[in-house]
Amino acid sequence: MAAATLNKAKRRKKSNFGQDNLVGYLFIGPWLAAFLLFTFIPISVSLLLSFTDYNVLANSGEFIGLDNFQRMFFEDRRYWRSVNATLKYVVFSVPLRLVFALGVAMLLNSYRRGVGVYRAAFYAPSIIGGSIAVAVMWREIFGNDGLVNFALNLLGIDGPNWLGRPETAIWTLIILAAWQFGSPMLIFLAGLKNIPKHLYESAEIDGANAWQRFLRITLPMLTPIIFFNLIMQLISGFMVFTQAFIVTQGKPLDTTLFYALYVYRRAFEQNEMGYASAMAWVMLMVIALLTALVFRSSSYWVHYEAGDGS
Amino acid sequence: MLRKKAFFIILALALFVLPTLALMAQDMTEVRISWWGSQNRHDRTIAAIELYEELNHDIDIVYEFQGWGDHWTKLSTQAAGGELPDIMQHDYARIEEWVANGLLMPLDGYIESGAIDTMSIADSSLAGGMVDGQMYGINLGNNSEVFTLDTDAFAEAGIELPPLDWTWTQFEEIANQIHDSLGIHGIGVLTSDQLWKSQYMGCCDQWSYAADGMSLGYEDDQPLIDYYSMLLRLQESGGMQSYEDSVARGDQGVEAQLIVSQEAAMAYHWSNQIVAVWNASGAERNFVMYPIPRPEGGQSQNYIKPSMFFSITSQAEQPDAAAAFIDWFVNSVEANEILEAERGVPISSVVRDALLPNLGAAQAEMFNYLGVIEMDNSPIRPADPAAHADVVNNIFVPEFVEPVMYGMISPEDAASYLREEANRILAAQ
Repeated sequence: MAAATLNKAKRRKKSNFGQDNLVGYLFIGPWLAAFLLFTFIPISVSLLLSFTDYNVLANSGEFIGLDNFQRMFFEDRRYWRSVNATLKYVVFSVPLRLVFALGVAMLLNSYRRGVGVYRAAFYAPSIIGGSIAVAVMWREIFGNDGLVNFALNLLGIDGPNWLGRPETAIWTLIILAAWQFGSPMLIFLAGLKNIPKHLYESAEIDGANAWQRFLRITLPMLTPIIFFNLIMQLISGFMVFTQAFIVTQGKPLDTTLFYALYVYRRAFEQNEMGYASAMAWVMLMVIALLTALVFRSSSYWVHYEAGDGS
Repeated sequence: MLRKKAFFIILALALFVLPTLALMAQDMTEVRISWWGSQNRHDRTIAAIELYEELNHDIDIVYEFQGWGDHWTKLSTQAAGGELPDIMQHDYARIEEWVANGLLMPLDGYIESGAIDTMSIADSSLAGGMVDGQMYGINLGNNSEVFTLDTDAFAEAGIELPPLDWTWTQFEEIANQIHDSLGIHGIGVLTSDQLWKSQYMGCCDQWSYAADGMSLGYEDDQPLIDYYSMLLRLQESGGMQSYEDSVARGDQGVEAQLIVSQEAAMAYHWSNQIVAVWNASGAERNFVMYPIPRPEGGQSQNYIKPSMFFSITSQAEQPDAAAAFIDWFVNSVEANEILEAERGVPISSVVRDALLPNLGAAQAEMFNYLGVIEMDNSPIRPADPAAHADVVNNIFVPEFVEPVMYGMISPEDAASYLREEANRILAAQ
């Protein structure tokens, strides 16, 4: 083992820049090939399909110009319901999840005993995220005789049928999203660990209380991390699919018919691949636009520490 | 050291033994098959396949199974990729669309040559698989819609069993009586599109779609309005499960019907599903099968339908071996002793006669029920138009059933919107 490492180190010293690049490309080769084959080519094809009425079952389609887009914007009532449901989900679930993630990350950012166990425990829900088990559990929790209504009953409140009511169904999914805060939490945790201790120490000496320290030190120092998490969560928020697909199937009254779910339905249940591709491309544009806006806004609120390491 | 050795041994095994095995396996004919169904069907079908492989050592049947919705998603994707299995389970509602797209193979040649033996099958049982004069699907069992009644619950509630030609008025009364005396629902939600399709048979000798499939087939919205007004009353009284509750529970298959968990005393489903329902409920329960209630002075809303087909796809690599398997599946007594009419009453008279003496309670009730329906029924209508799924998924459920059952819109307004939009989609196919 040791000899091999030594050998490698020697060779590395000898090798020139070009060879290093080659090794690099070799390493990303499998990923690159898969990306071209399974992502880039399908995405390009879907752009072409969005101007056709391609039907999977018939395996044929004709060029129909902008008809798909016209149909989507002016004729399809369910399309606008899906836009509505998705926006509502993003607007509420993204901030909620970020606040949760930051809160828990701050609790875990200490050197108490067994903190590793807690970190793993809090991350677990994100791993099992879209599984059938979670869907079944969520149905048990929010079902008519579920855990939530049982608890409300103890308080003398007659809880509604959460998953069956059009006003409440989407909230169960928003809460599910907030509960799956694991990956932004880990990133926040890494960010918190990077904030120099001496800032807190001097602030404490100057008499700043915990809230002031959070507001004046933690938040500003974390803005690059918040920025990153915001973008990632925004994108994944718009692409939400699994939870609705498994827990609610878009019901009731299309209040949880998320955009991606509707695209899926059109593509794979109605076989209208052309129309679905058009919808997917509109979504891509909207996400790109929003991401660009957040990037633009970042110069006003994101602070990068100069000097450190760069 | 030891670990290294073990690693090399495993590597050698993987490199040499597996390909040898694969080569050996190549001598076998591989037939791929895909079906939808409940757990009960999966178990029975797999057992039958294993028996077939035992009897035919040169045949390797590779199977895939899934629920109804996933079946169509998966197979239409496979169709686009040219990856369809040799045999696929098909349905009366979809077969026309698949034939129109050239995805199924006509079976007339196999029937003429006797490779698929139809000697003991009545022509009427085969007719459902014909599209444009050619045979595209072999019927796997005869079926009809059914209202299953839990006789123990009826006895407990002190309700007498209704006559076989019961009316919707009687049904509504019974559902409410059950709720009043037992505190459970009379029945689960009755909003399926199948009931909409067959509903106009009872009152008006019409069908949801016109014969050419280019428009709706009923002229008067009133019977539909009356029916949904009744559902709203029943939902309000508790005689029927609320739509809200059914949404909250989600679609978990026939085995999750309320009658199974004794949360309702009646259930609506397809007659073949009694096998799965009874199996899930337990052998000690007692059920009796009834035709769909009819309007006052109306006629039967029941018709006899092929429950499902086995079709050979046009992308099949082993159509001959596939035909041999279908022949065995339909005609073999051994196979059907395992399958036990779970896909409906077998169409082969030889198989039926062989099964009769040893039928389980569920199967006996189903055979008996199909006999009742044969005496009094409406004729089967043409297979659904290609746009049927579009009409149901994008209009009937989200624009009619849901808004009506949630009280967002009156049945009158919803019915006229349904007519307008469904006609638009049907005319544009």
